[in-house]
Amino acid sequence: MVLDRRRLPSLGRGLLLAGLVIYLLLPIAAVLLYAFSTRWTSHLLPDGYTASHWLQALADPRLVAVMLRTLGLALLVTLLDILLIVPAIYWQWIYNPRIRPHLELTAAIPFVLPYVVIAFGILSLSGQFLPAVQGTVGLLALSHGVVAFPFFYWAVDNAMAAADVALLNEVAKTCGASPWRSLVQVILPNISVGIATGSMLVFAVSFNEFALVQILVGARYETVSLYSLDLLTGTNADFNKLAVITMFTFVVVFTLSALSVYLNRGQGQTRRLMIGSRSKA
Amino acid sequence: MGSVSLRHITKHYGSVCALDQLCLDIPAGELVVLLGSSGCGKTTLLRSVAGLERPDQGQVLIDGQDVTALATRHRPIGMVFQSYALFPHMTVRQNIAFPLRARQRPAHRRASRVEELLELVHLGPQADRFPNQLSGGQQQRASLARALAASPQVLLLDEPLSALDALVRQQLREEIRRIQKTLQITTLFVTHDQAEAMAIADRVAVMRQGRIEQIATPLELYETPSTRFSASFVGNRNALELPLQDGRIRFGQVLDMAVPGLASRRAIVFFRPEDVEFSQNGVGHPAKIESKIFQGAHTRLHLVAEAEGLMGRFYADLPSRQAHSLEPGNTVKVSIHPSRARVFPADG
Ligand SMILES: Nc1ncnc2c1ncn2[C@@H]1O[C@H](COP(=O)(O)OP(=O)(O)OP(=O)(O)O)[C@@H](O)[C@H]1O
Ligand SMILES: [Mg+2]
Repeated sequence: MVLDRRRLPSLGRGLLLAGLVIYLLLPIAAVLLYAFSTRWTSHLLPDGYTASHWLQALADPRLVAVMLRTLGLALLVTLLDILLIVPAIYWQWIYNPRIRPHLELTAAIPFVLPYVVIAFGILSLSGQFLPAVQGTVGLLALSHGVVAFPFFYWAVDNAMAAADVALLNEVAKTCGASPWRSLVQVILPNISVGIATGSMLVFAVSFNEFALVQILVGARYETVSLYSLDLLTGTNADFNKLAVITMFTFVVVFTLSALSVYLNRGQGQTRRLMIGSRSKA
Repeated sequence: MGSVSLRHITKHYGSVCALDQLCLDIPAGELVVLLGSSGCGKTTLLRSVAGLERPDQGQVLIDGQDVTALATRHRPIGMVFQSYALFPHMTVRQNIAFPLRARQRPAHRRASRVEELLELVHLGPQADRFPNQLSGGQQQRASLARALAASPQVLLLDEPLSALDALVRQQLREEIRRIQKTLQITTLFVTHDQAEAMAIADRVAVMRQGRIEQIATPLELYETPSTRFSASFVGNRNALELPLQDGRIRFGQVLDMAVPGLASRRAIVFFRPEDVEFSQNGVGHPAKIESKIFQGAHTRLHLVAEAEGLMGRFYADLPSRQAHSLEPGNTVKVSIHPSRARVFPADG
């Protein structure tokens, strides 16, 4: 949304901004209050406050297991994307710019197709060629890797463009560096912010994802999003605990997003995580 | 130090012919400037020597060794890029040390070599700064030190000064020349600034459309360009196109010279503005001053003369003290000594 400064008086702008903030914060505030409330009946605010939902949630072995599973999956997916995609984009920049349109197209697919469609596509494909992997966490991780690919691709691709990795690689070659040394000592330090940003986005996508988990593995690998659904609809529905989980997820994802925005402040410049920490004359 | 030989190098990009059967021999320790207009293949030539570009045909020899198939990192070269291209995450010191680390020199030798190079390019005080904390000139000096770090046999510079302002440019080109002479390193220097080429080259290679048009010392090139292209490219020259009659070219009393052996009906005559002679005693041809531009030590006059039914426009430089009394609209008498003119067929 682009607002033209000149045409919008400052009062109007202030109101609009305030409205937006309220619109975004109200639901979160409500969930937060709910997670701390004893009962919330007909009043504007809860009837009473307690921390017991949080203590109970933390003591619930099922919830802890769910958290660990979700975390493990998200980490696995992130690692997978880093190992598969960074080399692919690097290859595109250094050796074969002609694969770029294919990568871009691939990066568009998860936006165009609903996750449910992707999930059934993966189901029928794996059923045809590799029935053994159906229902495994491996297949789920791969699928998450695929749907999170665009976020990672754009973050890392931008970083490589900003750092001019093709030039850096040529310079490294004229300095006598092997391809490996060039990658590790020259390229990676200059695109580390892009990789970090992409990783956080991938992590957040996997952490939050519901459709693929539900369809590909279901209750065999219960994640936070599946457990949330169970708390909402199951026979043992517990809205306060759900509020606790929702808050928790929100904090995780929000922190990651905020971090990636922070790392990418000052756009258009190459930014690095560890300035010059790795080499000494 | 190593000589460089290029033998019949050809390089195409699709249908574009960037290098066309190009041959070039550079003896060890010489500085050759590649001079030519944009797109004539200078960068492609330099990159072929570096191994960043693989020629379609031909051979690259360094110090007598055929390196055509050798990977860049195994070639004994150092390269300076137009955009400095320092590693932004390393300090000056670390940048200079990088080629030594890449070639696995022992740590103690590395440290002393880096100090030596910092001294050579006068960057001692800035050694621990990052590239974005340096001026353009300092960055380019760091980049030069990095290129020299591993003591390569050949130094390649692709328009190293073109991103710098005039004063820094001039200082740095003198510094590059000083360092090149101290180290006696074979050097290929690309530029399209002819003043720069003249100032630092042992020899200048004028390039045109993927070939070397002429290679000569700056003085030779300036005084006796061997082709029409070199003549028009080097030195601010006047060019007049004149008819050829009975083996002579005449333009009133401005110029009258015999040109034996020129098989053409028209000729192009090149002459430099400082070679236009102003006569006090009435010999010479009348020319009208159209404008006068003060340029410091010299003043440039734009002149127009008429003879043989032709109008000729050209310009002349004369010491400013002698130009005091001359004003636009005045008529002066001018001539050009035949030995100062270079003549080429007009249709060649
Ligand atoms: N990677 C490439 N792909 C396609 N064509 C190229 C490529 N590199 C160079 N060319 C073409 O080859 C020719 C020579 O290019 P080159 O860069 O060597 O010229 P140059 O003399 O260095 O020019 P400039 O003074 O502008 O730097 C040009 O016509 C250019 O368009
Ligand atoms: Mg060039």
